[in-house]
Amino acid sequence: MIEVEGLTKSFGGLTAIDNVYLKFKKRELSSIIGPNGAGKTTLFNLITGHLSPDQGKIIFNGRDITNLPPHEISRVGIGRSFQRQNIFPRLSTFENIQIALFSAKHINGKLFSQAKNMLRDETDEILESVGLTDKKLMQAGYLAYGDQKRLEIGIALAIEPQLLLLDEPTAGMSPRETIEITKLIKKLVKKRGLTLIFIEHDMDIVFGISEKVKVMHQGRIIFEGTPKQVKANAEVQKIYLGKDKK
Amino acid sequence: MMEHEIMREIIQEFFKKTLTLRLFWLSTAVILLFILPLFISTAYISLISEMLIMALAGCALNLMMGYTGMVSFGPAGLYAVGAYTTALLLKKTGIPFAATMVAGPIMAGLVGAVVGWFCVRRTAVYFALLTLAFAQIIWTIFFEWYDFTGGDDGTVGFRKPELLLSINSSYYFILLIVIICLILLWIIVNSPFGKTLQAIRENPVRTEFIGVNVKRYQLYAFIISSLFLGAAGSLFAVFSGSVFPDYAHWIKSTDMIVICLLGGMYNFLGPVIGSAVYIFLSKLISGYTMYWMLFLGIIVVFLVLFMRNGIAGFISHKIAPLIQENKETEK
Repeated sequence: MIEVEGLTKSFGGLTAIDNVYLKFKKRELSSIIGPNGAGKTTLFNLITGHLSPDQGKIIFNGRDITNLPPHEISRVGIGRSFQRQNIFPRLSTFENIQIALFSAKHINGKLFSQAKNMLRDETDEILESVGLTDKKLMQAGYLAYGDQKRLEIGIALAIEPQLLLLDEPTAGMSPRETIEITKLIKKLVKKRGLTLIFIEHDMDIVFGISEKVKVMHQGRIIFEGTPKQVKANAEVQKIYLGKDKK
Repeated sequence: MMEHEIMREIIQEFFKKTLTLRLFWLSTAVILLFILPLFISTAYISLISEMLIMALAGCALNLMMGYTGMVSFGPAGLYAVGAYTTALLLKKTGIPFAATMVAGPIMAGLVGAVVGWFCVRRTAVYFALLTLAFAQIIWTIFFEWYDFTGGDDGTVGFRKPELLLSINSSYYFILLIVIICLILLWIIVNSPFGKTLQAIRENPVRTEFIGVNVKRYQLYAFIISSLFLGAAGSLFAVFSGSVFPDYAHWIKSTDMIVICLLGGMYNFLGPVIGSAVYIFLSKLISGYTMYWMLFLGIIVVFLVLFMRNGIAGFISHKIAPLIQENKETEK
């Protein structure tokens, strides 16, 4: 599905991503964990074209997508959500999804047709699937934090991705919201047959959703395996999970 | 007695509904504009003509500023390109009047495509500075190229079709063109394209990640805005019968920006309200004192500090909810 080969990126003197090799299989649910500053978000920014790598290649479905601009990468089928909520605040919840659908269906260049009722059913369906139907007319910026996160996932889904990258989907959420959003992600990804890679700090979610876990530290992948293997690994325990032991 | 009560309720209900209908207000305003020359003197008609033209320029600029979030400091440059194109064609060639009116916006669109191509490469304050620089280049060309444009004497004494010689008939011509242009702009901002522009305003990074080539769409917005700015310029050339380099000056750009701010950037008709109020105030105050600019400064300070969404924003946020209590449920 997606392969990262020898990816390297440094900022000034700091090597944020250091010769990383990764492989993700189709329909696999993987997570990337690691302490702050390990390079997880940088890796996402490289994959989605927000940053371009110093060295290395990114291959998606057999196609080299290294150095493509973000809008083209999104078109090949990679959707992402952001760590901080990243929506269109002064537009309605409905429009947030609808505009993403315009782009997915290649009709956002239409100048002379009225947008209001276009793709209404498709938009409603996505709103329904992320549980925002009753808030669809609200201005998105006024939604509660958890709902904005849901909306963001909805926007990412609207472009009909094959691969979904979620950057800390539950950051800043209450425990109840966290459980709900975790369930939602799991359900949507399974239903749509997506490949999922997500960054997360909450170990319950990591071990609850993912089939594979990659551990990053100082720009390198130091361990890969199933959640069970990660839990059992002494080095990971020391670097990362150690801090989490209550 | 009972029937009387019911009738009164029905009538009240009817008024409540019609008064809140946008279409009702709009058509009333348009009809009023069409019958206006029957009631008021030509001095006021020419004032309203000017308001209409600046309303169009404001709405054209607002496609970029209010809808796409690109603050341009140089709309007057493109407005002047439209004005000069029409004026020079009328003066130096014999091509039909209608063709000169079409050539103005097209020329402005072409220049806008070139200028925009450079400008969209930068954002925010750098974008604004680039637009200002290009507008001043355009101003310099019109000012210095004496043989062709007449320099600071302007381009004057060009032919005008007989139909437009009276103030009232040119008022109708302007009114018609402005209404057509505004309808076109309204259709554009409510299309999938227009919605995409609004997404760019709200969050360019996110828009990139839903698969939109943001720079390209910003360029499209720049070109479309230039076309309509050019149309406003052409209209003003015909209206005033003379064209001067000052049409491209940054002071003219400031007028357009203030018109958008005053009326309200986030409302389609904001610049129309802004234009009417601004031009009315400028004529009123400059009739009493030389220090119109002083008052302009005070208006801008007031707007930025107390009325961030302009008059239209003030009406729809503060006054409309008082009249119409159930707005949210309806919308």
